Formats: sequence, C-alpha cells, structure tokens
Amino acid sequence: MKLYDKLMNVVENKIAPVAAKVGAQIHVRAMRDGFITAMPFIIVGSFILIFAFPPFAEDTTNAFGRAWLDFATENFDAIMMPYNMSMGIMTIFVSLGVAYSLARAYMMDGITCACLSLMSFLLICAPVTDGALPANHMGGTGIFTAVLSAFFAVELVRFLQKHNITIKMPEQVPPAIARCFEMLIPVLIVFMTLYPLSLFVQSQFDMLIPDAVMQMFKPLVSASNTLPAIIGALLLSQLLWFAGIHGAAIVVGLLSPIFLTNIGANTAAFVAGEPIPNIFTQPFWDFYIFIGGSGATLALAILMVFSRSVHLRSLGRMSAVPGFFQINEPIIFGAPIVMNPMLFVPFVFAPIVNAVIAFTAVKMGFVGMGVATTPWTTPAIIGASWGTGWTFAPVLLVVGLLIIDLLIYLPFFKMFEKQLLEDEKKVSADQEKQDVVEGTPATA
Amino acid sequence: MKKILLCCSAGMSTSMLVQKMVKAAEERGMDCKIEAHPVSAFEEYIQEYDVCLLGPQVRFQLEELRKTASQYGKQIDAISPMAYGMMKGEEVLDQALSLMPK
Repeated sequence: MKLYDKLMNVVENKIAPVAAKVGAQIHVRAMRDGFITAMPFIIVGSFILIFAFPPFAEDTTNAFGRAWLDFATENFDAIMMPYNMSMGIMTIFVSLGVAYSLARAYMMDGITCACLSLMSFLLICAPVTDGALPANHMGGTGIFTAVLSAFFAVELVRFLQKHNITIKMPEQVPPAIARCFEMLIPVLIVFMTLYPLSLFVQSQFDMLIPDAVMQMFKPLVSASNTLPAIIGALLLSQLLWFAGIHGAAIVVGLLSPIFLTNIGANTAAFVAGEPIPNIFTQPFWDFYIFIGGSGATLALAILMVFSRSVHLRSLGRMSAVPGFFQINEPIIFGAPIVMNPMLFVPFVFAPIVNAVIAFTAVKMGFVGMGVATTPWTTPAIIGASWGTGWTFAPVLLVVGLLIIDLLIYLPFFKMFEKQLLEDEKKVSADQEKQDVVEGTPATA
Repeated sequence: MKKILLCCSAGMSTSMLVQKMVKAAEERGMDCKIEAHPVSAFEEYIQEYDVCLLGPQVRFQLEELRKTASQYGKQIDAISPMAYGMMKGEEVLDQALSLMPK
C-alpha cells in the first residue's frame, strides 16, 4: 500500500492540478468543442461509406450481397458524394467549430471569427485551380492546419480589438454592419501574412502549408500508433479519473486531432483500396480499451448486478444499462472507484490488458483498423464492428476482452464486496439494537 | 418556479440524475425545471436558471465557472461524489434548494 499512497500523492498533488489546468485551458477547450461540432458530419459521413463499400467479398454468392455490390459499383460516384461533402471535407467544420468556440470563450462574435478562420484555412490549404477548390487537404491531412489557422484568426481579431486597431462606425450604425466593418482589417491582415507565407512555402519547398504542418506533426502521429503511447494516454486518463477528474475528456480533448488525422488517413486508404495505416483511432480507444466507459467498467457493473451487498447490487442494477452505452460515472463515483484502493488495480490494469490484446489482434490482422468514427455512446460490441466497416471479428474480440475484464475485476470485487457486507451487517446489527432499545418502553 | 441547471462533461450522466431529481420534486409537489447540459454550454444556460450544480468529474472547473456565475448573480456548487454516484435525487435536490436565493 506504500507504493499506492505514494502514487496517489503524485497524482493528487502533481498531475491532477496540471491536468485540470490543461483541461480548462481556453484553446484546449475550444479545440475539443470545435471537434464536437464537426462530429455529426464525420459520423454520418463515414457511415455512408459502407454503402459504397459493402462488407461482402468481391466473389460473394450471397444474392443480397451480390445485388448490393453490383449496385455500389454502378453508382459509386453518386453514393460517394455525401461522404465527400461531409467526412471528405471535415476540416471545414473543424475550422468553423474551433474558431467559433474560441471566439465565444473570449466573448467575441462567433460567426465572423468562424468565417475569418475558414477563409484563412482555405487560403493556405485549397488555392483555387481551374475554378475549383482542391479538396485533398480538407480531410484528415488538414486537421492540424485547420486548428492552427482557427487559433491564428481568432487571436488576430482579439489582438486588434484589444489595441483598438479597428474601423469604428458611428453609434447610429446597426451592430451587424458595424461588425462587418470591424472585420475589414483582420481579413486584410490575413491576406498580408498567411498568403505570403503560403507562397513562400510553395516556392521554397514545393508544398502547401498543410503538408509542411503534417511533416511537423508526423512524429506525434506515428508515435500515436505504438503500444507505449496508447498505454501512456490511457494511464493518464485512468489516473485522473481515479482522482475524481474527468480524465477521458481531457485526454481525448488532446488526442482528438490525432484521432481525426488517423481516421482520415484510414478512410482515404480504404477508399483507394490501399492497406490501412493507423491502429490508434477513436473506435479502438472507446470499444476495445474502455468497454463500458473509462476503466472498462462494464465487467464490474455485471459483477455488481449479482452482488450480495445491497449497495453494490442496487448500484449495479442502476448502472449496467448506462454502462452498456459506455456511460459509467455512477459506478466511478458510486462504488466508489474514485480514491478506492481496493479497485485501483483492476481499474488501471483491465484497460491496459485490453489495449495490449487489442493491439496484438490488430497487428496480427485478426481485426481490421478503424475506418469509421462512431458515436462514443454506441455499445462496444456494436461500435467495434461499426468502426471497422461492419466486420464480425471485432465482436468476438470485444466479447473475449469483456470476459478477461470480468476475470481481472473478480478478485478485487470479491474483496471489496466482503468489506461492504461486513459493514452492512454491522449497520443492520446496530439498527436492530437500536430498535430493541427504542422498543423497550412499549414492552415495559 | 425553481430552475436548476446541472452540468457535466457531455451532459449524459447528469441527465440520469435529472430524472431522479424531477421525480423527487414531483413527489414534494414542487414546480421545478431541472435540466442537464454540457459544461461547455454553461454560459449560454446559466442566465436562464437560478442555480447550477456541477458533476464531480468537472469539479476542477468550479472556481472558473463561479466567476462567470457570480457575474449573473447566480449560485454554483459541485455535487458530492457519493450522492452523484448513487444518483440520490432527493439529496441533490436539497443541495440545489439550499443554494436558491431566499
């Protein structure tokens, strides 16, 4: 327990305050909220992909599969259009969403800042050629650039407002029109700064800014696909949760650009019929590592349903269904898991074991890599299949992992249950004694 | 009518608690409006409500949100982890009512 105390000390006094600061930091929050804005487009867009690529082999004899395959081949472009206009240009939504959230956090006008951000992004990522905007950086490869240009646009407007460098209209002018004039200078400055930079990068390195930005972030992205990085991220999330802080929101907030970049590259490879490159995607994180929510607590919820302890049984009944949909705060705070040494080991250990096994399974080709972003509240068993384009092997993997989680949680759960049972027995014994005492006058 | 706002990370698990609180309020015959929203939308909603309670998992934002809340003259506090975990609607409702302007 000494090591445990030491570890908890470090988490509580060192990691938690820093993480809380990071999680509440205005740019991190804007990024997280901006990605949430883009999520519905990404989820539905990647869902549509499946209609263009039916989950059947080319030589299938299944009549339904055959008909679907033929239909998909014939109408490929038409089916792909909604995908191209949602998932395919997801950075546009990110650019708007991040800038809007950041502007709102600064109490500035959201829509004008979002527009300025979009213009900055398009200026450096999609220079018009032959009357068309090239869309090749509007998918996963443009994510980091979209975030950076959104920050740049909003901070620029903020800086100018702070120093009163703006075209002031007389008070009689309606606010909407005054706002429009206020934006003239920022727009001009974006043209005068980002555009020359873009031209410079193009002439010197023969690439666009998003390519250069991708080069910069490449080490981070490729590191994200290694087991130590995945375990590191999940460990941080778990330790924060254990200290009672929403670790997942903070860690996923920071990981979201990587998730989107990875899934974007995976989908692009999937569409092009090339090998899929990235292991670490949102469905991997949500549905293999955290079955039932942070800490893979679905297993614990199931054990609780059958507990002899009243407290655990009622909590289990209440939280098994939400747990199925990946929501587990009731268990985390109710059991409680927070600051509970008896459940510390499985809470941290079960997700790590899940990650190692799932990583190996992906490496060995037993399950495919994520090609679709899914709502995180999808039950793991469905989400895992959905994330890989509706294949079956992930279902088996999730069931296997759940059984392993049950075995990991079982001994610790028993230990905790035993303690609770003793407490409950003591309480009810006290209660009986009390009843006897209170009952005495009546019988006497 | 008493208006209570609950906030957590995505407004998901708090909405379970909201159901319990609404039930508790109904049993007492109280006229209440209780809703859960993500903490990121805090500022949009706080103006419409009398008090706000935070889920313990976003407690770390309490001090910062309190500043905003006080700008609008509203009270804010965090829900105790145990009451939250056990989804004790009665207890949390009492906590909210105790914060209400007299």
